[in-house]
Amino acid sequence: MKLCEFIRPEKLSDARNALRKLGPKGMPLAGGTALHFMNTKTPGTAVDITRLGLSYIRQEAGAFVIGAATPLSDIQRYRSPRWSMHEICRRISTHQIRNVSTIGGNICRVFPWADLPVVLLAMNARMMIYTGKKKEDEVGADDFFASQPARRFAGGDLLTAVKIPFLKANHGFGSVKAARNAAAFSLVTVAALLELKDGRIQAARVAAGSAIPFPKRLRSVEAALIGNEAIPEVFRAAAAKATEDAKWCKQEGMSAEYIKDLAEVSLVDALERAAEFARGRTK
Amino acid sequence: MKAATNSVSFTLNGEKKTFATSPDEKLLDLLRREGYRGTKYGCGQGTCGACTVIMDGRAVYACLLYAMQAEGRKVRTIESAGTFEKPNEFQKELIDAGAVQCGYCIPGIVMSATALMETEKDFSDEIAREYMDGNLCRCTGYEKIWIALRRTLDRKAAADAKPAAEKTTKRSSSKGAK
Repeated sequence: MKLCEFIRPEKLSDARNALRKLGPKGMPLAGGTALHFMNTKTPGTAVDITRLGLSYIRQEAGAFVIGAATPLSDIQRYRSPRWSMHEICRRISTHQIRNVSTIGGNICRVFPWADLPVVLLAMNARMMIYTGKKKEDEVGADDFFASQPARRFAGGDLLTAVKIPFLKANHGFGSVKAARNAAAFSLVTVAALLELKDGRIQAARVAAGSAIPFPKRLRSVEAALIGNEAIPEVFRAAAAKATEDAKWCKQEGMSAEYIKDLAEVSLVDALERAAEFARGRTK
Repeated sequence: MKAATNSVSFTLNGEKKTFATSPDEKLLDLLRREGYRGTKYGCGQGTCGACTVIMDGRAVYACLLYAMQAEGRKVRTIESAGTFEKPNEFQKELIDAGAVQCGYCIPGIVMSATALMETEKDFSDEIAREYMDGNLCRCTGYEKIWIALRRTLDRKAAADAKPAAEKTTKRSSSKGAK
């Protein structure tokens, strides 16, 4: 995107007012990496939101609260017993990009290869949105990623934080990103959250992205898991159901059939990791 | 440069500076036009790492930052590392290992390694790889760069461990005296 102006509001309300006034010309800028690749006909105005205190990770009422302008490298380095976001952040792009790219930038305008929407769908995250009112809107991941989130922010509203529930006892999380090399865009990203009881799957949230046009939950896979034993045969049978929810697309010279196989293998891996994780967690 | 409509102030290699810029100018372009040409233009799209600089202690791609984003920050370029006459420790190791062929990637590699050495205490292969994963070298196949880095890191780790070990022995001996 070509920029004709660069402004640095001091307050969240000023940023929102500026973006409202600017309309499609205005663009919130945190890491700003995506802006360099956006092709727009008319030059735009960057509204710098990195100085509004939106970069933090806190623990509050059963959830990790990540500020919208928190760089991926901070999320990658954060550690806590009920936390598992670092895994996927380590797999996103390169060290230099992770130092500037933010969680908000990754999810407010979803590119097909984005990894975090997949993980946040599986984790049942909640997004906090500033709409000018004192109390921020809280939107669940299913609703937030039902369509392109950028539309939600067209009127100047701003994402302020992402709430990720603590992983409770018997809950486990696993994610797999398949890419050609460490820094490449994802071919397939999958994520799974499992709750186990006596070796059986009580609850499951499974999501996929990259090889499909938009990240989504795989509800047929979830249905095939719930009530069954957490064993590889069950995972394989459930992964085979993914085609009922997702039409896998060809990627970078790889056929759709190959991507389907890759997605299914990745799903089994993610489910095994989640189950392993859950088994080791008794509190 | 396009018509300068803005100015940006930041600390560059320890000196406070103000530059005229335009909202659309990349930090890399500003640095190079101001004479800091050690920072290289490689791919221009955040892949190769030749433009790596350190901003507020973190390695970043100068080609993917607007100059305006540097306002109030501390930026360090390769010019803050060793010189031709007086290379720093890692630069010396790169020369000794024969790790420099065309040399275009080296400023970025040195900056990423600097961020690693200044931020981390643990220099395990896993962490070192993580810091270096955003720098490409098309000549050497990385092996010699890695050897040079490993030597530098091992020496630094040994030096860091020394004072700590001395302290522990002192403490334990004083305890023994009691």
